[in-house]
Amino acid sequence: MNAAPLTTGGTMKRIIAGAALVAILGAMLGLSCGRKEDAVELHDWNFGGKPRMIEWLRQRIDTFEQTHRGIRVVQSQKSWNMIRELLYADFSVGTGPDVVNVHANYAAEFGGAGYYYPVNTFPDFQEVRKWFVPHLLESTRYRENYYGLPSSGIAFVLVCNKELFDREGISPPRTWSEFREAARRLTKDTDGDGIVDQYGLVLLGGDKGGFAYRLVPFFFKAGAEIMSDDLKTILFNSPEGVSALQLITDMYQVDHSITPGFLAYQLTEINDLFCSNKVAMSIEGPWFRGMVDDKSPGKKIYTVPVPVPDDRIAGYDTAATLQDMVMYSINARTKHPEQAWELLKYLRNEEADMAWIREDLGAIATTRRALESPEAKNQSDLSLYVHELGHAKPWPPHPSMIAIASDIFTPFAQKAIVGELSPREAMDQAAREAQEMIEGKK
Amino acid sequence: MKKILLLLPVALLALLVLLPFLWTVSTSLKPLTEVNRYPPEWISPTMSLKPYGDMFFYLPFSRYTLNSLIVASSATTLTLFVGSLAAFAFARFRFPGRKQILLVLLLSQMLPGASVIIPLFQLLKTAGLYDTHIGLILVHTAVLLPFVIWLLHGFFSGIPTEVEDAALIDGCSRLEALRRVILPLALPGLGATALFAFLGSWNEFFFALILTNSDATQTIPVGIGLFVGEFEDVWNQMSAAAVLFSIPPLILFMAMRRTFVRGLAAGALQ
Amino acid sequence: MRRYTPYMLLTPALLFTVFILVYPMAQNLVNSFRDVSLVREGRGWTGLLNYEHVFGDAVFWLAFRNTVVYAVAGTLLALLIGLGLALVLDVHTGKMSSVAAGLYSIPWVISPVVAGFAWKWLLNDHFGILNYWLSSAGIARHGTSWLGNPHTALFCVMVARAWQFYPFAMVMFLAGLQSIPAEQYEAASVDGASPLRKFFHITIPNLRPVSSVLLLLGVIWSFNDFNMVFVMTRGGPINASMVLPVLVREFSFVHFDLGKGSALSVLIFALLVTLSFLYLRVLARRERA
Repeated sequence: MNAAPLTTGGTMKRIIAGAALVAILGAMLGLSCGRKEDAVELHDWNFGGKPRMIEWLRQRIDTFEQTHRGIRVVQSQKSWNMIRELLYADFSVGTGPDVVNVHANYAAEFGGAGYYYPVNTFPDFQEVRKWFVPHLLESTRYRENYYGLPSSGIAFVLVCNKELFDREGISPPRTWSEFREAARRLTKDTDGDGIVDQYGLVLLGGDKGGFAYRLVPFFFKAGAEIMSDDLKTILFNSPEGVSALQLITDMYQVDHSITPGFLAYQLTEINDLFCSNKVAMSIEGPWFRGMVDDKSPGKKIYTVPVPVPDDRIAGYDTAATLQDMVMYSINARTKHPEQAWELLKYLRNEEADMAWIREDLGAIATTRRALESPEAKNQSDLSLYVHELGHAKPWPPHPSMIAIASDIFTPFAQKAIVGELSPREAMDQAAREAQEMIEGKK
Repeated sequence: MKKILLLLPVALLALLVLLPFLWTVSTSLKPLTEVNRYPPEWISPTMSLKPYGDMFFYLPFSRYTLNSLIVASSATTLTLFVGSLAAFAFARFRFPGRKQILLVLLLSQMLPGASVIIPLFQLLKTAGLYDTHIGLILVHTAVLLPFVIWLLHGFFSGIPTEVEDAALIDGCSRLEALRRVILPLALPGLGATALFAFLGSWNEFFFALILTNSDATQTIPVGIGLFVGEFEDVWNQMSAAAVLFSIPPLILFMAMRRTFVRGLAAGALQ
Repeated sequence: MRRYTPYMLLTPALLFTVFILVYPMAQNLVNSFRDVSLVREGRGWTGLLNYEHVFGDAVFWLAFRNTVVYAVAGTLLALLIGLGLALVLDVHTGKMSSVAAGLYSIPWVISPVVAGFAWKWLLNDHFGILNYWLSSAGIARHGTSWLGNPHTALFCVMVARAWQFYPFAMVMFLAGLQSIPAEQYEAASVDGASPLRKFFHITIPNLRPVSSVLLLLGVIWSFNDFNMVFVMTRGGPINASMVLPVLVREFSFVHFDLGKGSALSVLIFALLVTLSFLYLRVLARRERA
């Protein structure tokens, strides 16, 4: 009974033989692509990324391969909003990339779970650590181990569409009332057809993780905390936290100065709207200028700190925003930790970091040499980011933090903004669920 | 004249139902600066094929295409082989348990992909088949089988038993009869079924999304699916990938539509 | 020897069925009574706790309601479109009709991922062609967000899904229409029946068996459909378009709670099996009557 159809004459035979041939050829091609004689192969995953940055990275990897004979690097671009799922699926199987470039706050989650390689065990770590600004390096630490090298410092700031601000004759807001007022004035019907076609503010609502990153800066500016220092109590439902959510809720429901469709937006749509002058403000990080520049060359933007509550204006220069960082880490199960460490150092050494300064790649340098170099003065927004990073706060280093932010904090906050719950109720319910999660009840 | 009057609504309807796809084609030919233009334009002088070249920058679509070809053609071959054996058994034999087995096959027809994915994920993990072509081929074959058996059953039943009896009298065994008589007669049906299987595997997204994870195994739908909303600015490149990826199934379908439709009707209305 | 032939022929197919259905469902059943997580050590048997968690989750009830609407209303919509187009095609004959049938079938051949993307872009609030037309016609405002509005998101995904499924219905209906014996219509004409009367008294009853099969398959397939929702909205905004298959993935691969995911899987499967058996029973009874 086996292989009966294969011997049948005529067309049938040809169809099946053809299909089989394609399959075999394909498989052979696949094998030949995946193999190179005796070289150590390292897989490197990067999530998201601007064209210029990807191009730079690929060039850098090319020179790495030339200077480190016997190591081959396979670089892949992965989906930014699926980091956790993709990595967990692979890490739990014991596979996955050797080197990965994601948020530093995964140090707690993946480092704590034993998925990340503690890089402080490499003999030259004490030398390497001196390259970096100390408080940025600290973000890669969880408990006693360091789980990566800083690759880009991120502080969340307010990005303003200069053209629209100039048209209205206003300057970027510093306090919440100025912020609300500016958003209100920038929300208008520009072509006189009776329909609003320009909005004051847009928020990345379609990405559960990304939304939390854009809302929490307002919480911090208001003086709210996410968790207590001992990581045992959820605190984001404090009066300060609720007031921050109230601000955004009022702007959406009372002023109508936030784009109505923001709940569906990915970063794509934010940039589309910003570049076509349909929105005036967004909460973004260092990547945004490059995105705008790629789409609308020469478009002018202001980047300023996220506004503070009116009664905290005295602390405008010192109020914390959300600090985030991207870091390069090594998979704990890698077969080639030494080679992976070589790659890490090569991608993040001072010379590489200088390129980020010189070529304005949409990432903020993290080494002292680069930040103190004369060229640093020429990089757009760098001084603002360095200033904000000086007193920004990272997410609390709790292993469940990312899950809480995207799966509890975001949905409840969004419910408040669209009016399904009051800000107070939303934050209280979210805090209750988050508390249950950190106590291990869920 | 009357013919044209009748034709007009038919053509208009075609435009209407193809609207989403045509809009994607239009977008795939525009430069980025045109993509976000309002009011939107269907055709503009700046159109070019450039996005079709640019789309390879972010993701290795040529590698994905190769993966898709490997998986879809292997799954098709395997499904057809296993499926015709089973369909032949149902069409030509009366045996105890026939009804129960048909029922189980019917059950897997209502297979909730989401429901079986967790155990499958764990199973492939332990078998070392997670993130491999073979793993995905096996899963696709299993998913496609019930419907393929159903279709083939229809074709085989449509072939008069007398033909086969003649072969048996000539001294062939039942299996030789399948090979020498039934399969050639069912050829159009097999072609249609192969098309169905190929399309099913080529377009499949859910299992491929969860059971593959690296560039060496991921198929095009996964590449496109992950592209959505991810790489800013590039609606035109996304559209280009979507259009390019739809061309092989469209050609195949157009070439084999008649047999396919006849087969479907025969299989379904038996 | 002869007696075993059919079983031997069936063995490979059955092995695949065990692989894709029997083993996973058995494993699900076991997992659904245990605490299993991708990210930490499981705590072993927990009885009905996973089911309690599922039933206690407000998103589950929302997704359940959404899934029923999505599957039933979406399928009915697809059947209506399919029937309409089949009638149009049935009037025309020859090459023209064949070309048209081919064109009408295109949505079916396109990958769900591509279809989802195409609809998402078509519905884009500021740059989509749909809003441009609707606002030109004065029906909706330019900038209306269809996928960002919790009240319209599910409906949009449902339309996109119907768009993909109607060609299947159309093809089947067309085959059904063409198998109606011409004598029936001729006899009715002799009796002086109006076209409308003929449609309701001959066409519709003759299409009943096809419609039943289509309804059953359509509901089951849509019930299990993951692609369209995932690509277009990921279940958002704020879970407004969440459906059960996407929720299973959320439980298992976003929250990494395999136990809860398994419990939900078992529930979905049980629901589908029950529904189809009831439906088949009703059909069988009607046929006997």
